[in-house]
Amino acid sequence: MTLALDAPLLTERRTKAPVGRLLRSELRFMFRRPRTLVALGLLVIGPILAGIAMAVATSTPQGGPGDRAIEGVATLVADNGLILPVFVLMLCMVMLLPMLGAMWSADALAGETQTGALRGLLVAPVSRVRLLAVKAFGVAVLTFVAVAIITIVGIIAGLTILGGDGLLTMSGNTLPFGQSLGRIALMAVLVTIQVWAVAAIALAISAATEHPLVVMAAALGGIIVFTILNNISALDWLHPVLLTDGWDSLADVIRDPMPTDGITDGLLRAACYIVIGYSLALARMSTKDG
Amino acid sequence: MSTVTDMTEIEEAPAETTAGAPARLAARTRNLRKVYGRTVAVDHVDLDVPMGAVLGMLGPNGSGKTTTIRMLLGLTLPTAGSVELLGHKMPDGAGWALPEVGALVEGPGFHPFLSGRDNLMRVAAAEPHLATKDIPRAVGQALERVGLSAAANRRYRGYSLGMKQRLGLASALLIPRRFVVLDEPTNGLDPAGTREVRAVIADLHAAGTTVLVSSHLLAEVEATCTHVAVLHKGSVVAQGELTELLEAGDSGLLVSTPDVATAVNALRDDRIPAREAPNGVHVDLAATTAPEVVAKLVEAGVAVHEVRRQRTGLEELFARLTESADKGNGLSDVDTFEESP
Repeated sequence: MTLALDAPLLTERRTKAPVGRLLRSELRFMFRRPRTLVALGLLVIGPILAGIAMAVATSTPQGGPGDRAIEGVATLVADNGLILPVFVLMLCMVMLLPMLGAMWSADALAGETQTGALRGLLVAPVSRVRLLAVKAFGVAVLTFVAVAIITIVGIIAGLTILGGDGLLTMSGNTLPFGQSLGRIALMAVLVTIQVWAVAAIALAISAATEHPLVVMAAALGGIIVFTILNNISALDWLHPVLLTDGWDSLADVIRDPMPTDGITDGLLRAACYIVIGYSLALARMSTKDG
Repeated sequence: MSTVTDMTEIEEAPAETTAGAPARLAARTRNLRKVYGRTVAVDHVDLDVPMGAVLGMLGPNGSGKTTTIRMLLGLTLPTAGSVELLGHKMPDGAGWALPEVGALVEGPGFHPFLSGRDNLMRVAAAEPHLATKDIPRAVGQALERVGLSAAANRRYRGYSLGMKQRLGLASALLIPRRFVVLDEPTNGLDPAGTREVRAVIADLHAAGTTVLVSSHLLAEVEATCTHVAVLHKGSVVAQGELTELLEAGDSGLLVSTPDVATAVNALRDDRIPAREAPNGVHVDLAATTAPEVVAKLVEAGVAVHEVRRQRTGLEELFARLTESADKGNGLSDVDTFEESP
């Protein structure tokens, strides 16, 4: 029973909880998930390991899965520390970052539906549009934090392990330190936006199911299918609509002068995917059974 | 109880009020219908929850209790029909109605990796009526009210079924409510926990809060409720005050006598329906009154030890209401929904 000293709870007459409070609560919740912490921890370790590996293998790495863009970047690594964040970002863009984006989107709606916690929020009430906005915000912030961690740890690890104070571009010249950091920041922003596009589509799937695994499988399967389609030149006409088509042009950031066509195309494509993803999520959310 | 809504401030807000509703109702559904694919889950549900009542919603599994509650709270959109909650049309008025409604629907829904307290903090952050600075206090009070203070900082993962259920109850009682909806609140609770839930419901009732409890445990409903609604195969087969329903059921008189045959014959001579019962005679009072029956028996020289008015128990009422439509088919089948008489 309540203590006599307690004043009655002051109730405020309003129909919505303050949005700042909801966003804070969502972030606190997302950042406390064990899997989020594990993922972010791995992202700290990843660039450091990559830096050590590059320092050990002074020769050019044997181009792995044969991705020409990555191979191109890897040849530039030796004594060129600031290339490390670029390289790691591109490596993570292939699978890890899209997977994390999809995972957070999966948890945001499907996971919450599965535990029944979404019901609690809906009857509080949080309107469905607001709920979707809060969830999208949470996923976007986490994605941004993930990319920021890779980039910052990559820069520090690159400078300390590989050395150098400029960025050797794929065009052969070396950019001064300040401009190099600018290019890396641009790269990080571009990567974040591409992952947001994946996460937006994943959020739409997340709104339509209560099984987080379905979201993960659909998002990763989609990326794999897109990558395969992208490598079939007979399907050239289809390439402009594939999200993954823009990812190769991320390497343009370390060319000098920087060609902007591919990057702009990639941004536009990502923007389309984001709009489509959130529209579908909103449509599903408004009729979804809570 | 310091955590009780001030009932004087009911009238306000841009309510799309029920034009001249006779008594004020906390919830009202009209012609409510929900179809999932080809399955009719709920049909023609006209449910009235009077303000201040404790309404027990009874029905076998699959009778549409939870579906009705979900539509009441705007969690599910009805296929047809209307819902009014605290005078606001749902689901459009959710922002006005739901802050004053506490609900535990389909079991507790919380995250296993957070403690009970953190889970409640998260729900509290979404409560419109709760001021930000009051959140920790409201959570603490709610936890205390359901007896979870000691386990508040343990992870939800390690909670027993009963503790999970209590946490769900705590989130429904986070702030003072005008209407509390509890779907199977005693699921998984031990007898002591069940008694506590009853005490909580009694507290809420005493404070003027309207309560809707769904259950298939009849004793629970009989012990706590003022009103009853019986659902069967997706429609309401009976609703009203508990005492009225019980009396309207079957009015009979149980006469304890050794002279059973004489008694039955004497009554039947006067066209009063009577039949042999285990300890005497059962007399149907549909066409006569108790004093008349006693006079007839005494006249006929029957030795009467005891005369007792027979009241229908809720269980009997429930069985009669739900089994008459079943025609001996043990499991109620929602798919083969049929119009109840």
